[in-house]
Amino acid sequence: MDKKRPQLSGDELHQLKWLLGGVLTLLAVGTVFYMEIEAWTLMALTSLATLATLARPTLPARVPRIVHTLAFPAIVAVFVADLWFTREVLPAMVRLDMMLLLYRNITYRARRDDLQVIVLGLFLIVVAGVLTVSLVFAAQILVYTACALAFLLAITLTDGAGGGPRGSIETPAWAAHVNWPQLFRRLREVADWRVVGLGGALFVGVVVVSGLLFLAIPRFQLDNGLFLDRFVSKKAKSGFSDTIRIGDVTEIQQDSSVALRVDVSDPAQLPATPYWRMFVLDQYNHGIFSLSPLAKVQALEGERTGVKVVGTATPRRGVQPRWTFYFEPGVSKYLPLLGEFATLEFGDAQNFRKSGELNIIALREEPVTMTAYRVEGFETAGRLRDPKFAQRWRAREQAGQARNLLQIRAATNDRDRMALTRLMQEVLPGAGGAGAAPSLPAAEFAARLGAWLRDRHGYSLQPKIPDGEGDPLVRWAASHESGHCELFAGSFVLLARVAGYPARVVTGFKGGTWNGYSGSFTVRNSDAHAWAEIFDVPTSTWLRADPLALDAGATERSGENEAARVAPTDRSWSARFDSLRVFWYRRIVSFDQRSQLATLKAVKDATENSGRWLRETVALSLGRVRAWLSAPWDVGRFIRLSYTAVLALGLAWWWHALGREWWRSAWRRGGVRRSDPVRREAGRWLAKLARAGSTDAELRQAQAALERVRFGARESWPEPERVFRQARRALRAARRRERSSPNGRGA
Amino acid sequence: MSVTDENDWSGPGVRTRRTEPFSWNAVLWSLVYPQRGHRIAPTVAGVVLISLSFGIGTAAYNSSSNILFITLSLLLTCLILSGVLSWLNLRRVTWRLRLAPPLRAGHDTVLALELRNAKKYLPTYGLWFELSARTLEPGVVQRAESTVTGRGIDIRAALAKADEADVRERLPLAGRLDPQGNARIEWVFRPQRRGVLRVGLASVGSLFPFGFLRKDIGTDLVAEAIVWPAPIEYRRHAVASVRRAAGGERVPRAGTGGDLLALRRYNAGDSHRLIHWKASARTRQLLVRQFAAESAEGYSLWVRTEAAIWSRPEQFEVLVSFTATLAEDLFRAGRLINVAIDGDSPSPVRRVHDLELFLDRLSRAQPTVDAGATSHQTGGAADGITAAWLVAKQNVMTFAPEGARGVAAFVNGQKAASA
Repeated sequence: MDKKRPQLSGDELHQLKWLLGGVLTLLAVGTVFYMEIEAWTLMALTSLATLATLARPTLPARVPRIVHTLAFPAIVAVFVADLWFTREVLPAMVRLDMMLLLYRNITYRARRDDLQVIVLGLFLIVVAGVLTVSLVFAAQILVYTACALAFLLAITLTDGAGGGPRGSIETPAWAAHVNWPQLFRRLREVADWRVVGLGGALFVGVVVVSGLLFLAIPRFQLDNGLFLDRFVSKKAKSGFSDTIRIGDVTEIQQDSSVALRVDVSDPAQLPATPYWRMFVLDQYNHGIFSLSPLAKVQALEGERTGVKVVGTATPRRGVQPRWTFYFEPGVSKYLPLLGEFATLEFGDAQNFRKSGELNIIALREEPVTMTAYRVEGFETAGRLRDPKFAQRWRAREQAGQARNLLQIRAATNDRDRMALTRLMQEVLPGAGGAGAAPSLPAAEFAARLGAWLRDRHGYSLQPKIPDGEGDPLVRWAASHESGHCELFAGSFVLLARVAGYPARVVTGFKGGTWNGYSGSFTVRNSDAHAWAEIFDVPTSTWLRADPLALDAGATERSGENEAARVAPTDRSWSARFDSLRVFWYRRIVSFDQRSQLATLKAVKDATENSGRWLRETVALSLGRVRAWLSAPWDVGRFIRLSYTAVLALGLAWWWHALGREWWRSAWRRGGVRRSDPVRREAGRWLAKLARAGSTDAELRQAQAALERVRFGARESWPEPERVFRQARRALRAARRRERSSPNGRGA
Repeated sequence: MSVTDENDWSGPGVRTRRTEPFSWNAVLWSLVYPQRGHRIAPTVAGVVLISLSFGIGTAAYNSSSNILFITLSLLLTCLILSGVLSWLNLRRVTWRLRLAPPLRAGHDTVLALELRNAKKYLPTYGLWFELSARTLEPGVVQRAESTVTGRGIDIRAALAKADEADVRERLPLAGRLDPQGNARIEWVFRPQRRGVLRVGLASVGSLFPFGFLRKDIGTDLVAEAIVWPAPIEYRRHAVASVRRAAGGERVPRAGTGGDLLALRRYNAGDSHRLIHWKASARTRQLLVRQFAAESAEGYSLWVRTEAAIWSRPEQFEVLVSFTATLAEDLFRAGRLINVAIDGDSPSPVRRVHDLELFLDRLSRAQPTVDAGATSHQTGGAADGITAAWLVAKQNVMTFAPEGARGVAAFVNGQKAASA
């Protein structure tokens, strides 16, 4: 009897196809979860409809005929209206896509409809991937590809050469009796482990070949490219903007998601407490910090499009440490920077504005995808040279306008100014007060002011600003209440300006954690921070002054970089996952022409090195053999050599005579026995007979026949059906005898 | 009747004697470049995939988005995977055609396509087979035409005529062809005309695995068989002057006569009286006596195919069908003695094989200009052959047109049957 594996019937193939179509739809609409496009209702509707039609495949037949008639005109009308009202192409297309998917899942699909489902789903997944550049995309596209290939295979097997059945609105035969658990059982019966194994290996091959193709596809850097994110407008959910109210930064701190990942080629260059500058606010008005219009006009250059930005730092000689930033979306349009830089290069062409004076770079819009940029020649000392400001300051100081133009924006009324002057007297007893010339160097003043603020106020994320009239910041400074970084930095700036020092608030991030798995630095939104910068006129430099840092005012010393290992090392599970994300950003998302060349060079080097190693190893081995041969021969060596030769020959003979055949038969036997239902059935019957425990002749005879079927060669089998019948009869008879016997268990 | 050779397997799995030494270059090239007779064309899904790849590739280069490059790589890899799986699917698969005789015009015929998958572990799916059947024009030699020799030929009309003559069918392989397994697909068709039927497997196609590419493997697998004339209804007439042998003549085939013909093994149902006890005792197995048949009035058929007699083709077809039907009926009744066509010497019909040979010849028969017989008058002056028959005192049945469409059979100048 030939072993014949069962096959799926046509109906079962149709059911499998229907199931895979539904799974593809669910996978595709799931992208809405992280795409952040307003399509939640449609997603829920499509998912529910798909699940319902999967659970009850007869449901599509109950859809009224009028729905089929009006479906496409209605979908087109909704799409046009959507486009008209929202003026956003991509979200409208995503919603159109989901409507089509919804419709395709509430109708019985023909071959072309199945193909449509695949293309529509692929569109959703690719758009989500492009918009988010998320690691989830990698997993999703792989799962989607596997399901889509299985789906296409099912379509090919179902439809064959005939082009497949036409879509119908009547219940097809396959839909009338769907039993998913039964189908899964049938799939398990039908599957051959070798074919399944080969399928898995081929899919791994697909992934590997895709990776190789990805590396090999030639890249060209185009400065003016197509940005898919142009077709979607997205508002910041949080983050830094050019206007900060008191408490805004603290709100950002509530978010513990990752804002920034930094790869640095030389980790020793990373300061122990890095300050990632994003934006400078030199104007204050009743609780709101902003960039003054004058500074906007003077400092920010016009918008440019490109991939490369030349900074104000002078490039150093030798190999520059390279900093690669992976800036998450939804944080800000201002890029975090450690300080002055020589060059900055974007991964993709960007529209941006740059300010050399403020040392900030602002993108045109807040990016909706991860933005990668690479910086070389960072000055991490916490000082920012600004000769233009110094020039203006001196000119206006000589003209007696400095205080009017640059300091007037500190407080709005005389009472606040008087209060600040009083406070200043506490900081620097005997100081000239408002309008007096600074008497201390800026760094020393900053240290004293910082210490004064820390002595007077505690740190708290739930600050309390005393009630009363006047400016809230002045009221807080005058009080002894606790406060957060913005209050400290704001008070610092106001007091410094009162004391005659140009000062400004800077927002960004402070610190971060070192990911021990990926070897990168991670900055979270919870690291958001505000601090101050005070201008040192003699050196024409802005000095970082963080009133909350113990060494505030000592920023001049921060040029002595400490190693990054001082930063806390994160070895948690989230760090492990984050390292995957860094790998994704580092090796996949940021892969460009330069990376391609580096990869090619690495491959070339590896090939050369392995070739060299091989040559050396062969030469070494030959040398050893030669040395061994030329060594004096004695009886022991002869015996050892003979023993080894005999052993090798014996092994070779064994393999040639017996081993190959043994291996083949083991392979064949393993493959057949595991999947042979007849042998399995015989095994089940043997177990039943063993449980019966009887020893009468009929039972023993049945047992012998079953053992032949279970373990014997197929050619020696009696007819299995007859054997099973015989076993059943013997078992029943044995049970009857047992029940009727006076000593039986049933008695 | 000829059928395909038992070992006439064809397909990618056939082991051919390798004339060139093995080289990896040849193997790789064979994977990239289609072999002779192989045709690969993208389907609608394939065109969609290729268009998608182009679109995504363009977008990827314009946006420098690695997400799009990943998608492009996956799409291209799927195309490669499709080719590899398609190659694996067809690897070591062989097929052959089997025609089951007898074939008869107007009757259903079964053409079996036998498949064999010699792969050890991998099954084969999703094949289909393009079959065509055509009855060859007897006496027409097919020749190739060039632009010079074929000048003036209406190509379209010629192709349309050829298409009309062909019966085509696409047979799908339903389900899976297991590794080391065999399958048999049957095509039931009805040949409309007598003659030599040529059944060809034009190509083997597949959309496996993903339906992106349609692969067609052209084959030159052909099976030929002879289609006997269609049976025809006819009417018998009483013939007064048929020569009847007194007491019957011994005929060398089994029957109910008195002469012993042979001994054979006892079969259940045989009369015990027929048991030959002596022989049974000698051979230690039951043997029964088999007696020779005795002929009643025996007939000889003489078919004359001169075009001068059979000027109407449809009447000639009636003649052939009528003759074949009569020959079979007479043979079944044990009354067919000899057959002859035109000037050939008469062939005795003793076994089924003799009848089949006669039917084969009838199947190929065409009106001839000079058949070696001079007289066309039934029962008239006889030529040498008929004279020999007459000498042999046989009842010779000859045929002649009857009216515009009918054919009549004459025995000794009397009409014996008509169709």
